[in-house]
Amino acid sequence: MKRPPRTRLALPAALPAVLALAAGALSACDSGGSSGSGGRGGSNGGTLTVLYTKDMEHLDPQRNYVMFAMDFGTRLLYRTLTTYAAASGQAGTKVVPDLATDTGRTGDGGLTWTFHLKQGLKYEDGSPVTSQDVKYGVERSFAPDLPEGPGYARTMLAGGDEYHGPYKDPKGLDSIGTPDARTIVFHLRRPSMEWPQIATLPTFAPVPKAKDSGVDFDKRPFSSGPYRIQTYDRGKRLLLVRNPYWSKATDSVRQARPDRIDVQEGLAQATIDQRLIADQGADQRAITLYSVAASSMARILTRPDIKRRFTSELGLCTRFLAMNTAKPPFNDPRVRQAMQYAVDKDAYRTAHGGSGIGAPAGSYLPPTLMNGQTLDVYHAPPKGDPAKAEQLLTAAGKGAGFSINLTTTSTEQGKAEAEAVQQGLARVRVKVRINPVSNSVYYSTIGDVRKEDELVFYGWCADYPSASSFVQPVFDGNNITPKGNTAVSQLDDKVLNTRIETAVKDGRSADWQGVDQALMQASPMIPLIYDKLPLLRGSKVTGAIGHPIWEGEYDFATIGVKS
Amino acid sequence: MSALPLTPGRHAAPPPAGRSPWRLAGARLRHDRAALLGLAIVALFVLMALAAPLLTALNGHGPNEFHPEKIDDALAGAPRGSFGGIDAHFWLGAEPGTGRDVFSRMVYGARISLLISLLATAVATTAGTALGLTAGFAGGRTDLLISRVMDLVLSFPQLIFMIALVSVLPEANRTLELVLVMGFFGWPYIGRIVRGQTLSLRNREFVDAARATGMTRRRIVFHEVLPNLMAPVLVYATLTIPVNIGTEAALSFLGIGVRPPTASWGQMMSKAIGWYQVDPAYFVVPGVCLLLTVLAFTLLGDAFRDALDPRGGNR
Amino acid sequence: MIRYLALRLLGVAGVLLVICAATFTIFYVFPADPALQACGKSCTPERLAMLHHQMGLDRPLWRQFTDYLTGVLAGRTYGDGPHAVQCHFPCLGFSYQNDTPVWDLMMDRLPTTLSIAAGAALLWLAGGVAAGVLSALRKDTLLDRAMMVGTLTSASLPVYFTAMTLMVLVVQIGGLLPYSSYVPIGSDPVGWAKNLVLPWAALALLYAAMYARLTRASMVETMAEPFIRTARAKGLPERTVVVKHGLRAGLTPVFTVFGMDLGALLGGAVITESVFGLPGLGQLTIDAIDKSDQPVVMGVALLAAFFITFANLVVDLVYALLDPQVRYA
Repeated sequence: MKRPPRTRLALPAALPAVLALAAGALSACDSGGSSGSGGRGGSNGGTLTVLYTKDMEHLDPQRNYVMFAMDFGTRLLYRTLTTYAAASGQAGTKVVPDLATDTGRTGDGGLTWTFHLKQGLKYEDGSPVTSQDVKYGVERSFAPDLPEGPGYARTMLAGGDEYHGPYKDPKGLDSIGTPDARTIVFHLRRPSMEWPQIATLPTFAPVPKAKDSGVDFDKRPFSSGPYRIQTYDRGKRLLLVRNPYWSKATDSVRQARPDRIDVQEGLAQATIDQRLIADQGADQRAITLYSVAASSMARILTRPDIKRRFTSELGLCTRFLAMNTAKPPFNDPRVRQAMQYAVDKDAYRTAHGGSGIGAPAGSYLPPTLMNGQTLDVYHAPPKGDPAKAEQLLTAAGKGAGFSINLTTTSTEQGKAEAEAVQQGLARVRVKVRINPVSNSVYYSTIGDVRKEDELVFYGWCADYPSASSFVQPVFDGNNITPKGNTAVSQLDDKVLNTRIETAVKDGRSADWQGVDQALMQASPMIPLIYDKLPLLRGSKVTGAIGHPIWEGEYDFATIGVKS
Repeated sequence: MSALPLTPGRHAAPPPAGRSPWRLAGARLRHDRAALLGLAIVALFVLMALAAPLLTALNGHGPNEFHPEKIDDALAGAPRGSFGGIDAHFWLGAEPGTGRDVFSRMVYGARISLLISLLATAVATTAGTALGLTAGFAGGRTDLLISRVMDLVLSFPQLIFMIALVSVLPEANRTLELVLVMGFFGWPYIGRIVRGQTLSLRNREFVDAARATGMTRRRIVFHEVLPNLMAPVLVYATLTIPVNIGTEAALSFLGIGVRPPTASWGQMMSKAIGWYQVDPAYFVVPGVCLLLTVLAFTLLGDAFRDALDPRGGNR
Repeated sequence: MIRYLALRLLGVAGVLLVICAATFTIFYVFPADPALQACGKSCTPERLAMLHHQMGLDRPLWRQFTDYLTGVLAGRTYGDGPHAVQCHFPCLGFSYQNDTPVWDLMMDRLPTTLSIAAGAALLWLAGGVAAGVLSALRKDTLLDRAMMVGTLTSASLPVYFTAMTLMVLVVQIGGLLPYSSYVPIGSDPVGWAKNLVLPWAALALLYAAMYARLTRASMVETMAEPFIRTARAKGLPERTVVVKHGLRAGLTPVFTVFGMDLGALLGGAVITESVFGLPGLGQLTIDAIDKSDQPVVMGVALLAAFFITFANLVVDLVYALLDPQVRYA
């Protein structure tokens, strides 16, 4: 099993403002403001207003691979074979049945997976959801015309490498069987016990062939969820109304409380924050779809009445500073270890949004993937330990310092984060030259192994709660590819690779903490923070919990409004 | 292009060439209070830029020095204290997020903002004068070609192209890139004026006379025509500087600025926008600097025009 | 006249062609491979090659360019077989980001920009010209001086400074107006105007100041012309002299500038739209540049250039009609 399923994570270039990290699920109790009106109860009806800066990127289920849009899509517009429980914290990482009657069955150790669909599942026109539609949906994700979605189906299903989607190969993919209208069977290339988690991805949303409008499906996906699209004026407004054929009896996850969901797009984040802070009129029933601006934090946190409407939950993500081990000076592990003490994580976090937006990280794996446990290998203080770093650098023959480049995004925040790293390293005579590149080319720039700078900002979110989906794509040297590389440190250590691959094979029972420890010792990256997503809502929004799977985004399954 | 004030001087009637009106103009300027005010402000900012290291030695804070004690980490780095953290050591407060000294960044920012706008003006003026002169003097096909190129460059949606161009250029030397890009889009304005002036000078008596005495073409251009172009060129260049200062700030605002941690007024402005509501004091500093500098150069340019152009001298 | 017009139109076409080529070069000479971005992080070389083919990026550069031009002039067909997509004239391609025809995207955003530009232009033209004329007629009085100091300051303020200040004062503290969002004029004229008052004001403050200065200068000059003295000597009332003779000559340069400014603004009030969060062409451009959505950037650049060249043409034509001395050359 040379290259096991690659469970890479999105960090889509499209995530606004930040590097697009996301997710980690710590316990809900430490999140400052999620108590109070964020709790249960609350009535049905009303209009929930959702405020956002851009457009929804992709609503087509097979192209949707941006965390909050996946939350939005799978909770409101389409259902998948399985999904996550509607809860914050560790409880939210539990896989539960959705279209299927259970979370999938396998009789051969994970090579073949069978799902049965529930009775009475209907689309927005009242027609029934069939297993053929689920098969067709998955097949769509192979079409090069619809390239953006997650790659799991493509890499894990048998024969997936030769299949190019239903437009080019209309007879379909043989490794997905539909013995009857309510049964679907997946034949994998290699056994995997993680298939039930993978089946939560929007790739597994049903699309009836007759309704498939190709690339235009993105504008008007055909709903199998509790809402359908009434109007979508891309970049301006998306209006959802109830799907009358969706039945709560078939759905144990979605509460579908509001009657309408009104997404207003193309607003400045500062305006969104200000509107929510002001809490007037319809904005009392509004939420921000994505992170509030760092500069708004001071206005939110200093006023108790506003702080009560603030949520910040961990997702399944860690942000790193990755060192390019293929180039000097970071080809020397001693220099890399010294960097663990040289970096000023505090200054970085301030630039990133302050203490409300992330917990300092002592190792790579976020606690949400480790049952809440944290690990700190170097015990460096948050401000760093320049004396210790200098001592290690001198021992490595680099006491005089050196000059390196650091890639960051060209946003104000990206620059500020880079400046924080720069001043931290300047304390040990490491001269950093900042190289800002635009958001859209960020990942293709740092993913080009030949051109990669010595230092790059990086971050990873697990697509589903499994340490293997986190460690393997980022740290397994066998995953280094010349372009679009995800193992950006380019550390290719045979012993470590083997250790990772053995752990992946063992799955949940493996000693992931030991792997984390060993990786930290090799020090390909400096862990900076475990990410939280800072969100603000109006005073009449109910059921607003941050869900760990989608970066800590509001769970659209539970959210509602008071009259 | 909403942010860019209409390029001044583009429509101003160029002053007619005269016999060295410089001395006369100098005398007029000395009595023009607006001009003196403009000059004083410009001088102040230039001095400030030149003396930046000395000024920051006074408060002991380098422009890139972090001061975590000045900001509140729990509030994403909002400055502690009132008015953006102004106190005896931080005369203009601390920068949100980093605690860097705003005064130090302002004086160092003056260097970059003035440098970029002056260099971009120099590039535009030199290229515009050279090409305008060539077109006007050579006439014929050369004139046609250069004139068409000028029309073409003027038809570009400039801000869009500046953003597009700068954002795809490799980040080698951002200052130089900004200068060249701004210079490139600026030269045709002055080129047109110089061409027009040259055309009218070409057939004037004193040029004819020079020609008759067997003076070389080269000599005529450099000794007879060029000196007579200096007045409109100077006026125009002075009025271009504030436009370039504004453009640098606008590009910074749109995320295409100098490489961090370099300070420029545009960079400060762009950062301040996000903090406007929490820390208005931080917004005021670069805002006032920009306002005063643009104002001063405009006053100065107007004064030059009035002084050098007796016909419109009373406007 | 017809010949002149034909030549000028040909000129406009030429300019657009060059701008098209320039945009094309900017984005294809410098590496920002859109296929690589669409490919995402699980990108295999085979998949990348497939996407290159899909997006037509594996063809020679000149072919891509001529295909584009053909599309603009005559429309073109993308793909083949049952999934071929017809893109009708004027085909500017499809957005990489969301597969919408670029033309539709632009036409969707144009009303916003048009509303901003038209309202602001009316305001600044009326305000600026009135202030300028008044100042010129009361030259060297206190009023004139105060007005000139005011306009000079206002013209020196960056538009985002004015815009932010207005927003804080009027919306946040005053609570007099809502946070801007675009409401189509057809569905709610009052809401439309309410949402646009601040952007109009921000732009108008800047431009009105410049126009006041320009108008004043031009009027002062005109009023000193011999023909004005002649008119006065004829015993015409001052009002008639100013309105019939002074304004006509004095405002000609103002309208020239106006045509060009309006043309430039129609390409997108980039900063104003971005501060107020209005979904116009300027926002579209910034987003497209940020996402390397090249077809959209090309489209907006062409449209903006078209507005500029077209405005120039109109100004020249009006000029030619008004002033018989202008030769059609």
